[in-house]
Amino acid sequence: MGSAELLQYVIAGLKSGAIYALVALGFTLVYGSTGVINFAQGEFFMLGGMLSVFFYQMDLPLPVAGAAGVACTALIGVAFERIALRPRRDSGPLVLIIITIGGSMVLKSLARHAFGPNEATLPEFTAGPSLDFAGAAIERQTLWVWGLTLVAVLALTWLYRKTRFGRSMQACSLSHDAARLMGIDTARVVMVSFGLAAALGALAGLAVTPLTQTSWDVGAGAGLKGFAAAILGGLGNPVAAVAGGLLLGLLESLSIAFVSSTYKDAISLVVLLLVLFFRPQGLFGRARKEKV
Amino acid sequence: MRLTRSLVALAVLAALALPTGCAGASDTDGTDGAAGGEPYLIGAVVSLTGTYAGLGVPEKQAIELEVARVNEGGGINGRPVEVLFEDDATDAAKAQAATVRLIEEGVIAVIGATGTGQTMAMRTDLERAGIPQISMAGGSVVTAEFSEWVFQTPWPNRVVVPFVLDRMAEAGYTEIGIISDTGGYGVDGRDIILASAATPGVTIVADEAFNPGDTDMTGQLTGIRGANPDAILMWAAGKEAAIIAKNMRQLNMEQPLFGGPGIARAEFIEGAGDAGEGVKLAAGKILVPDSYGEGTEPYTVASSFIERYTEAYGTAPDIFAGHAYDAFGLLADALGRIEGEATPEAVRDALEATTGWVGVGGTFSYAPDDHNGLSADDIVLYVIDDGTWRLDQ
Amino acid sequence: MSARASQIGVRALLTVVALVALAAPLLSGDRYLLKVLVFVGLNVIVIAGLALLFGYAGQISLGHAGFVGIGAYGSAYLVGSVGVPWLVGVAAATALAATGGLLLALPSLRLKGHYLAMATLGFNEIMYVVFREARAITGGNDGLGGIPFPEVAGFSIDTPAGVYLLVWGVTLVVVLLVANIVRGRPGRTMRALHGTEIGTLACGVDVVRLKVRVFALSAALAGLSGALYAHAVGFVSPATFSLEHSVAMVAIVVVGGTGSLAGPLLAAIGLTLLPYADALIPGLSKETVALMQDWEADIYGIAMIAVIVFAPAGIGGLLKRWRRVPGGGEAA
Repeated sequence: MGSAELLQYVIAGLKSGAIYALVALGFTLVYGSTGVINFAQGEFFMLGGMLSVFFYQMDLPLPVAGAAGVACTALIGVAFERIALRPRRDSGPLVLIIITIGGSMVLKSLARHAFGPNEATLPEFTAGPSLDFAGAAIERQTLWVWGLTLVAVLALTWLYRKTRFGRSMQACSLSHDAARLMGIDTARVVMVSFGLAAALGALAGLAVTPLTQTSWDVGAGAGLKGFAAAILGGLGNPVAAVAGGLLLGLLESLSIAFVSSTYKDAISLVVLLLVLFFRPQGLFGRARKEKV
Repeated sequence: MRLTRSLVALAVLAALALPTGCAGASDTDGTDGAAGGEPYLIGAVVSLTGTYAGLGVPEKQAIELEVARVNEGGGINGRPVEVLFEDDATDAAKAQAATVRLIEEGVIAVIGATGTGQTMAMRTDLERAGIPQISMAGGSVVTAEFSEWVFQTPWPNRVVVPFVLDRMAEAGYTEIGIISDTGGYGVDGRDIILASAATPGVTIVADEAFNPGDTDMTGQLTGIRGANPDAILMWAAGKEAAIIAKNMRQLNMEQPLFGGPGIARAEFIEGAGDAGEGVKLAAGKILVPDSYGEGTEPYTVASSFIERYTEAYGTAPDIFAGHAYDAFGLLADALGRIEGEATPEAVRDALEATTGWVGVGGTFSYAPDDHNGLSADDIVLYVIDDGTWRLDQ
Repeated sequence: MSARASQIGVRALLTVVALVALAAPLLSGDRYLLKVLVFVGLNVIVIAGLALLFGYAGQISLGHAGFVGIGAYGSAYLVGSVGVPWLVGVAAATALAATGGLLLALPSLRLKGHYLAMATLGFNEIMYVVFREARAITGGNDGLGGIPFPEVAGFSIDTPAGVYLLVWGVTLVVVLLVANIVRGRPGRTMRALHGTEIGTLACGVDVVRLKVRVFALSAALAGLSGALYAHAVGFVSPATFSLEHSVAMVAIVVVGGTGSLAGPLLAAIGLTLLPYADALIPGLSKETVALMQDWEADIYGIAMIAVIVFAPAGIGGLLKRWRRVPGGGEAA
């Protein structure tokens, strides 16, 4: 295999990896502030694409439609948290997982009723031919994907480290009760976390639609990959989530090159299981001791 | 005591429901009209919801249109036709349950299903009951696993694939890369491509596959690009096809892209956008009616159908509506030829005796060993030009 | 009425219901209804096992459709392609599913809550890939057809009534078995486990062994249901064992209520019948049925959330509250 070909595989891997990273960031955010795995995260990815298409078809300019799609999805995330999760926030994580599972079923099915069963697409953010990079081709949209991911990561890191709210979020992830005792409005932290996670997922969905199209049922696949990426990197750490995403993307792409193109999904699943069984804290996480 | 009373009430209700439980009210069509007498009961299992809803809804519309037309014209042998529709929700289990229900209602033939998996699911019950089935699904397996009760209206892969390969070889593309999906239709197509490529002198230099639901095929296409083929042949039926066209454009791949009837959908053109220009595909003549040959009988039949369908539903019929039109039309034609009682077996025999029936998918002639009835003459090669289909000269 | 009398009343009532269920083919010759009721019975078998695992032992599984698939394909292949006698095929398929459950449980049950959920989800997805790719055994995406009817002692059970009796016979046995487990020591231990795992450990219970056993049993029941399904319907395809079905099963147990057996079973009956409601209610129009089928996933999802938010104990909780009310409210 020539170096140009290998480079092409690497680029493809980093492209899907960036998408997984955004979705994984959403998982990490919610997990960090609530200890819950939000099974509906994949559906936020789907809604980002579908809602942006909806607004675009109303003849809004593409940037406005995209922003509206992401904002709408964020609102849906917040609404979901308030309606379905908040009443039961003191129940164990098992109950909350069930609620998010139910939420994902409803969101997915409502999307089908609202938008129909067919696939839809958006034009590329900047039109033009692919760029040549040492013999491999990079689509302009891929540059957008990478750019948006970078911006999201930087923004999140700034939020965590430099703002008061970010520190509240960190406090919540360490201990809800302690945070509340310190006067932090944990309910608001949870709500904003959901909104942000939904926005991140939606952003991923929006950015990738010009490349891969979107439809009502793309959520489950994206959610599963995003979760595998989050677990691979280590839950609770945004940088780990991004690293996990990129790594997973590369793994998949290279398995197409060297193993088999149809088993690539199975490979990410096997990786997920292996990490869960042998190193549940992920590659970059610290093993947590459970206190009795 | 409250509990016992409520539970007793429940049990009594349940006990009452059982004996009175019979099949619910049927959704009937076409009973109004000039025809009188005992109607011919036909069943239809289509995917009105689920993944294949985009195919099933046009199918139902086409059948309803034709049923109304037949009944207004006096029916068949003076009797009206009634079609009972069931939705299989693109699920094999529901298709099967629906089939049992239709058999209970006493249908003498069943049209269905929209998808290959559902079609196969219906087979066992229909064979056991001895009722003929006309499928609108394109998988070769429907007639390759031959059953004397099962007929098929789309052009099967084993007819279309050699046609496409011939045209590719004629154009000078002798080293090709293929990419197919792992669904029944794609696997079937790939098997036939591999088996028949040698005949027109085509060599397969790359062979990649993807799963339905995959959103990025740049990996597979990179592998194909590395083998330097003259052209690419794609065998899929779903949204992934448009992504492949786009991916090729993104990878700066200059080779021409060929496909089959699976991509004869407006959604492919919409989804692929600019990347769809120049894509060539083999499909039936309904997309460009002129290809039937102006003034010929097939042209008249197709034009009439297109006109009536467009007037009734606001859009032109696609190939799936065409398959449904053919399925019902063949049945109606067979019913008309039956002398004596129209038992399911008589219907089957009449179907099998069909010769030269002009439909929109082609001109059908069935035989005891051929339940497909079509040949390569019924297909043409299109090229996508300026957002629509044009005959490739 | 005294508690003892009410207990007898419930037992008598349940016997009546069981007899009515078994007599159904005599009361109604409607083949469609019988086929729908077969689906109900098959679901009850899976849900009984899942209620044990999730409702009592508190271990979530999003992969049980995978075990159903193992049972279905296993039996279909053994009996249909290899030619093994039917009883042996079903037994072997059930054992295969149980083994799969065991193998998955051993590494997975160390994981907590969402990790376990994800591990089982991953298992379901992997099985789906296997069902699709192992074309030689499973027929791939097109599915596997022509699965032979059940055959016991030389008699082929090929009528809807016969299949119905076979399936419901097994269903009733399974329900009795699971009810016994629940009422007995394993059931109490499981409830203790669900309440506090540390506490149960501290009491000297081999928690790991219990969890693994329950998981394997629930996997076996799922496999049994799958095997019976394959022969009842005659056709299986990978789509029947997708993740969505696993999630729907969990939804049923949630709606039925944890810590209860009757609740999930009633939920299973009700929710399975929902898309086929026209079999029971003769006057129901096709449009209504189609509507319900179209909104099935929404109904499941909303029911799941609504139950947890407003009535966390589910149907089972409602039943228990009824039973606790003495004398119909007339006398304290």
